[in-house]
Amino acid sequence: MIRIDRLTKRFGDKTAVRDLSLEVPRGELFCFLGPNGAGKTTTIKILTGLMRPSGGTARIDGIDIRQSPVEVKKRIGYVPDMPYLYERLTAAEFFRFTADLYDVPRSTIDARLEEMFGLFSLLDHRNALVRELSHGMRQRLIYAATFLHKPKVLFIDEPLVGLDPYTIRLIKDLLVAHARDGMTIFLTTHILSVAEEIGDRIGIIADGRLQALDTLQGLRKCHGGTDLESIFLRLTRRPDAGNPMPGASR
Amino acid sequence: MSASSALVLKTRYHFGGLLRSLRSESGFKCAFILAFALAMEAGLWALFLDGFRFLDSLGGAGTVIINRIFALFYLSTGVLMVVSGAVTAYLTLFRSDEVPFLLTRPLRISQILGYKFMETGVLSSWAFYFIVIPFVGAYAQHAGHTPVFGVWTLVFSLPFLLLCSSTGTLLLMIVVRWFPRRRLVRIAGFGLLIASLIVVIASSFRLRDAAGQATFNLYSVVPGLRLAAHPLFPGRWVADGIMACAGGQWTRGALLWATLASTALMVTQSLEWFGKRVFFEAWQRVYGGSGDRNRQAVLLPWLHRALSRFPSDTRAILLKDLRVFLRDPPQWSQVLVFFGLLGVYFVNLRSFNYHVLPPSWRSMMIFLNVFSVSAVMCSLGARFIYPQLSLEGQALWILGLSPMTMRRMVMTKFMAAACSLVVISALLITISSVMLDTDPLTRLIGLVLVVAVSLAVGALSTGLGAVFLDLNQRNPAAIVSGFGGTLNLVLSLAFMLAAILPFGVVFHLRNTVQLPPGHFRTAVLATLGWVGLLTAMATALPLWIGIGTLRRRDF
Repeated sequence: MIRIDRLTKRFGDKTAVRDLSLEVPRGELFCFLGPNGAGKTTTIKILTGLMRPSGGTARIDGIDIRQSPVEVKKRIGYVPDMPYLYERLTAAEFFRFTADLYDVPRSTIDARLEEMFGLFSLLDHRNALVRELSHGMRQRLIYAATFLHKPKVLFIDEPLVGLDPYTIRLIKDLLVAHARDGMTIFLTTHILSVAEEIGDRIGIIADGRLQALDTLQGLRKCHGGTDLESIFLRLTRRPDAGNPMPGASR
Repeated sequence: MSASSALVLKTRYHFGGLLRSLRSESGFKCAFILAFALAMEAGLWALFLDGFRFLDSLGGAGTVIINRIFALFYLSTGVLMVVSGAVTAYLTLFRSDEVPFLLTRPLRISQILGYKFMETGVLSSWAFYFIVIPFVGAYAQHAGHTPVFGVWTLVFSLPFLLLCSSTGTLLLMIVVRWFPRRRLVRIAGFGLLIASLIVVIASSFRLRDAAGQATFNLYSVVPGLRLAAHPLFPGRWVADGIMACAGGQWTRGALLWATLASTALMVTQSLEWFGKRVFFEAWQRVYGGSGDRNRQAVLLPWLHRALSRFPSDTRAILLKDLRVFLRDPPQWSQVLVFFGLLGVYFVNLRSFNYHVLPPSWRSMMIFLNVFSVSAVMCSLGARFIYPQLSLEGQALWILGLSPMTMRRMVMTKFMAAACSLVVISALLITISSVMLDTDPLTRLIGLVLVVAVSLAVGALSTGLGAVFLDLNQRNPAAIVSGFGGTLNLVLSLAFMLAAILPFGVVFHLRNTVQLPPGHFRTAVLATLGWVGLLTAMATALPLWIGIGTLRRRDF
């Protein structure tokens, strides 16, 4: 469903992503991990058509993102880590705006609004302006609007930032259920336990290069270590990183 | 280090950063802005000087007006400064992201209030000097005063500005703290305000009715002169004080200055006393408000059905922009004021008996009206249309991610802007033409010109807005004042002149019988061709460049 071949992105002298090759099949929940500045968000931005690659190709559902960006965008959804929305629209207006952008039939919008707002506990906030919503509420609104057009591929950048424990549980269950129904999910997170809990496969990127790609069991077998944290720290350790605080490790 | 000195240090760092960013700006841009400002000052100076000479030529009444003109000037600028102080205080005290930060630090409310009040004072009153310098310069030259006159103006202006901004801030705090939450009370209050305004306007008309009778007096002719001349009005103290000092009446001057300064300090002291007790409650009402529970979930839901024939993505953008615009009172109120004033003027053209003037005068007036409507369109294009793509800001990912192409998005924005401008400007020019009872050809040319300017302004503002996209800036004023905004305004004004002037010249030559009828027709057709070509270029080029720039851009 997602095929990346020798993808590269340069910003001047700095190379954010180098020769990244990766395949994510239909219905897989893929977790893309890496330290800050490793190239995760850049990769997602290229895959969602928000950024142009400097080299290499990326295909979604067999369609080249550079050649047919509109066709790709019809098939994908994206939940960013920082939910910047139109602050002077109400939650219901933002939902309807998204429905029109994705050409969702008018006859189904109201039913979808009830369904999605009910699912994400937004029914009481439908007439609130976006600027009046808390961070978590905004994030829920983005999830509601993203699931609206039933994307085949879902990209999520930090899926659980600012959400309460109930919504975190809901999101995890939803992602797993949608992946089982055939949706391909590509998510990045710094919360390694999330990747351990719901990820089918895990990719670890550092300095723009893919360092490891396997299931959790595969990573354990190949790189040693009992948990994902130790594998992650070993694979992504920078030469300039300081030593652990004495006595901090348990 | 105390909290107050930390705030002073932060302000110093802030100014340091501002200076550094100024140094990094292009020399051309700085020189251009400076030249523009100087030209504006020179223009205002010439205008004021001409006004003083005209008043002088009137004899008795003119001399009285000139004697009172300073008081009148400080009355009008004083009202403006109070309003400006209130608006700026709302932004700095109640809408600033800095206030929640400061409230969590070990600072007293009075310290925060004092610091933000100083910011308000500077931000709300710097523009005052843009008006006062050419005005005072022109007056001093006309009355034969020495440059020391400017020094006295400065000495009296400082406490006057302090008084205005503290009054504005105080009024704002009262309004915010006790602004009725219930809709019914708000509507009743608004109704009361409108009724009071009607009563005031009606009473001023009664005064005018008396103008033809023996009770005629100057106060009924010059609005505000009675209030400006009132001895208890601070503007009068400023005006009389400056004149007294310029005339060597030191004691009277010092007394008036002391009266002004002590009043300003008293209001500022009251603001501090009042603010300490009220500010936090008022801020809570704005910051902690849970929003309007009576708000509809969807504003203007019928519009969705009305626009059902539009492609869904175009409809989405149109509805979104309209709703955002309607929920932003500072935006629509400016449009309303600009076009509303022109509308009121055009509707009242017959009150001045302009429709019985010779055809040549009426024709000239039509071109002047086209010019004024176009100038307003240029400024609105620069102020509202140019920054709208940048104001999508970090939410642009929503559009960038959608199946909508950048070309379609830019064209939708352009069409919405151009259509709005065409409808409003065509309506205004039609009113003006009907009121002036002009011939059909002049009406048609007027309409053609405003449509051409609407298209060009819409395209230039949208296209250049895409080229000079600034997604990190959330303040429209900062976006507009950048290089792209300035270039957009200059190009729009240049287009306006290049389109209107040739027609104005052709009609002037016909009206002064310098152009034979046969040649007039050819000249009109040739000018139409020129305007058509110019409009096509000014519309297509910026849009083409803007779309290309957006396509190549990463988000």
